[in-house]
Amino acid sequence: MIQRTRIALATTLVTALALGATACGGATKNDGGKGQARNNPAAANDGKIVGGTPAKGGTLTVLSNQDFSHLDPARNWVMPIMDFGIRLLYRTLVTFKAEPGKSGSELVPDLATDLGTSSNGGRTWTFTLKKGLKYEDGSEITAQDIKYNVERSFAPDLTGGPDYAARLLANTKGYTGPLTGKHLDSIKTPDDHTIVFELNRPVAEFSSIATLPTFAPVPQKQEKGAQYDARPFSSGPYKIDSYARDKKLVLVRNPHWDASTDTVRKAYPDKFVVVMGLKGGQIDDRIIASGGADANAVQWSDMGAPSAAKVLPKPAVKERLVAELSGCTTMLQLNTSRAPFNDPKAREAVQYALDKEAVVTAGGGPALNEIATAYMPPSMTGGKQPDTLKIAPAGDPEKAKQLLKEAGKPSLDVTLTVSTGDKARAEAAQQGLGKAGIKVKIETVDPAAYNDAVGAIKSAPEMVFGGWCPDYPNGSSFLPFVFDGRFIKETGNMGNNSQFRDEATMKRLDEIAAMPDVAHADKAWLDLDAQILAKHPAVPMIIGRKPLLVGTNVAGAFGHPVWSGQLDYATIGLKDPKKNQG
Amino acid sequence: MITYLLRRLAGVLGVLLAIAAVTFVIFYVLPADPAAAACGKTCSPERLEAVRHHLGLDLPLWRQFADFLTGIFTGRTLGTGQYALQCDFPCLGYSYENSLPVWDLLLDRLPVSASLAVGAAALWLVLGLGAGVVAALRKNTLTDRTLMVGAVAAASLPVYFTSVMLIYGVIRIAGILPYPEYHDFTAGPVTWAINLLLPWIALALLYAAMYARQSRGSMIEAMAEPYIRTARAKGMPERTVVVKHGLRSGMTPILTLFGMDLGGLLAGAVITESIFGLPGVGRLFYGALSTADQPVVLGVTLMAAFFIVVANLVVDLLYAVVDPRVRY
Repeated sequence: MIQRTRIALATTLVTALALGATACGGATKNDGGKGQARNNPAAANDGKIVGGTPAKGGTLTVLSNQDFSHLDPARNWVMPIMDFGIRLLYRTLVTFKAEPGKSGSELVPDLATDLGTSSNGGRTWTFTLKKGLKYEDGSEITAQDIKYNVERSFAPDLTGGPDYAARLLANTKGYTGPLTGKHLDSIKTPDDHTIVFELNRPVAEFSSIATLPTFAPVPQKQEKGAQYDARPFSSGPYKIDSYARDKKLVLVRNPHWDASTDTVRKAYPDKFVVVMGLKGGQIDDRIIASGGADANAVQWSDMGAPSAAKVLPKPAVKERLVAELSGCTTMLQLNTSRAPFNDPKAREAVQYALDKEAVVTAGGGPALNEIATAYMPPSMTGGKQPDTLKIAPAGDPEKAKQLLKEAGKPSLDVTLTVSTGDKARAEAAQQGLGKAGIKVKIETVDPAAYNDAVGAIKSAPEMVFGGWCPDYPNGSSFLPFVFDGRFIKETGNMGNNSQFRDEATMKRLDEIAAMPDVAHADKAWLDLDAQILAKHPAVPMIIGRKPLLVGTNVAGAFGHPVWSGQLDYATIGLKDPKKNQG
Repeated sequence: MITYLLRRLAGVLGVLLAIAAVTFVIFYVLPADPAAAACGKTCSPERLEAVRHHLGLDLPLWRQFADFLTGIFTGRTLGTGQYALQCDFPCLGYSYENSLPVWDLLLDRLPVSASLAVGAAALWLVLGLGAGVVAALRKNTLTDRTLMVGAVAAASLPVYFTSVMLIYGVIRIAGILPYPEYHDFTAGPVTWAINLLLPWIALALLYAAMYARQSRGSMIEAMAEPYIRTARAKGMPERTVVVKHGLRSGMTPILTLFGMDLGGLLAGAVITESIFGLPGVGRLFYGALSTADQPVVLGVTLMAAFFIVVANLVVDLLYAVVDPRVRY
């Protein structure tokens, strides 16, 4: 915490200037700095609940610029939407605590009575369901329904969802889902309240995986194939009243949801209304003004960077900005498959040359992102990233030059490909690297084509900006995706854009994945993170924040560290539910 | 008349077919892979194949096109088994993104775009024709010049600029109107109109300016015709001369313009809809384009083409009404 505050202090002045937000011109430098840090969302609203404890009732409005890609629990794999679905519409075997900061990453049983028990050396996982769990029609939630939805994640009709079931369950070869009437033998339901998963390898962190919406119940008689997306059947505190795609979603209370079976969801508002397709900047303005019914509104999409200048200098508005770390690390990934970055020395030089401070400033300053010093995001490293290389935040161009000389490459000419939205950050990186004699040519690609452009490994550039967001806070959901050489694909390559193929790393990845004890494995992931960092396949650059504004009458708002900093819909509500209704 | 109509309808079909074919080919040569886009973040090769097969993207292009065409007339089934998607006549396919029939999506969005287009059209006709006719009748006076300078100014402002300025001035500063959110006409005409007022004005300003300039020119030309002099010489009231003889003949080129413009707008005003957050056809198109949702892009393109060719046809038929010399 101390470290973070110091970074915030050091960089706020720079940011305040960058945003044109130096409100306190007359104050001395020191006072200004302190005042900024205290009120800066990067420091002040971290781990804080905005608006206090809500009262029960009222309608909370969500203003959105888009429709949900998928609300079907078998297809929902977008972090903010996972939060929305899991907290409001469906419950999962296990879930995360509804608390800000570090404790938000802690697991609690949801449908299950505990976090599951493993046997057979971690290859078999058994969960027991609580009694008296009901769907929105009052019928009982059974173990068979959870099995059914896990099977649904295999169906080619039901695309887009997490594929952990396909990767971890035993004997799934050729299985294409339950829609054709076939079922999996590796999930057993000995009775209505017991579900047993047989896995293809020991998985110590299966309790974390059971938080994914794949492990929510869907009763077979509610199956509507691809159309289920528009009307998922509720096992959570709310049910869908109406859903006009791309226009409006209205959720009302599910009278059969029993709060006594649910330790996580508070379900304060009577109703949720999601208004879609609005313009981002207008949403920011409406919530900043908080006029009339907008006082009861929160925003779905991130606050736009241009709005920061309207928010950060005004303490009353800044107080309503939630900006939790998104839990995703953005890296400068170096193509290790060919020159010059097949040479670890050249890669190390980039590690030292990059001016991360400038990149943070270009990305909107510490209110919107902060410096990364390791690959795995803070939600997986106990709230704070380790800093094993101890390179100054602004980089060390002298040391980088030295390294390049040792590598026999006193200057480098390389291409950095980024998506159009990352241009400012890319230019900041370009400047820093330039000081060390690394000449960078920036190529920008439309976001829609970005993954295709950098995912064709033969034509991949020397450097790309790559990010990874873990699906649950455990090393197994991060390091293998980014650094396992066996995941490299000819086209559509994602994650391991460094094309890092290191025998020792791959061996260690497998060893840790097979560890039976989670705590033991967590430590090993952390060590491996540092070991990979010492081989420099990528430079950890920044951890983004998710800036979200809430209205003046909104309470219980905080960004959940697991679901990329999305507002935790389990606990959000209104201060005064009678205000501005209708 | 009948043979003319049949010939024109055949032409309409030909144009639509050609547009469908071109759109199909464009998507086929694009690098975007809709199956990979639908599949998810880390899609195994086997699953990708299964998804591709399910979407029918593993078939040769000609076969996909043939299936699409027959589907329009006979409907078709996507996938197999109990939960296969049944797409009834007129089947334009299913959105890769949200598995909804393209036809339903279009029907759902059309009222929004139509509300926007018709309201704006009414406004720009009144403003544009009014200004044009007045300017023509007061040719080379101060009124004429003021109106035409205004028209040039309005025509040179891009619609996104006007829109943003309107939002800023009317909503943010003055606070007279709420931020627009679309409400159906059936939910109450007043709410409907209030929320559409600014988009109407933004669009109408642009078009009205063009119509004012066009109608001024046509009107001046028409008023210089010998039959106007004859009408005046016969002692007709000036009002009748202007409206019945001048305006009617001056309308012909305006009608052509109007048919095209309205037809185009019915198929969605991408920028205006996006800025004002209206869930119309234009925004549907924009969203589909950015996610490589080919069936939706194809559907909107066909609908846009349909409206424009049909509007053209209607305009040509209306010529006979406006101009008694025209016969088919």
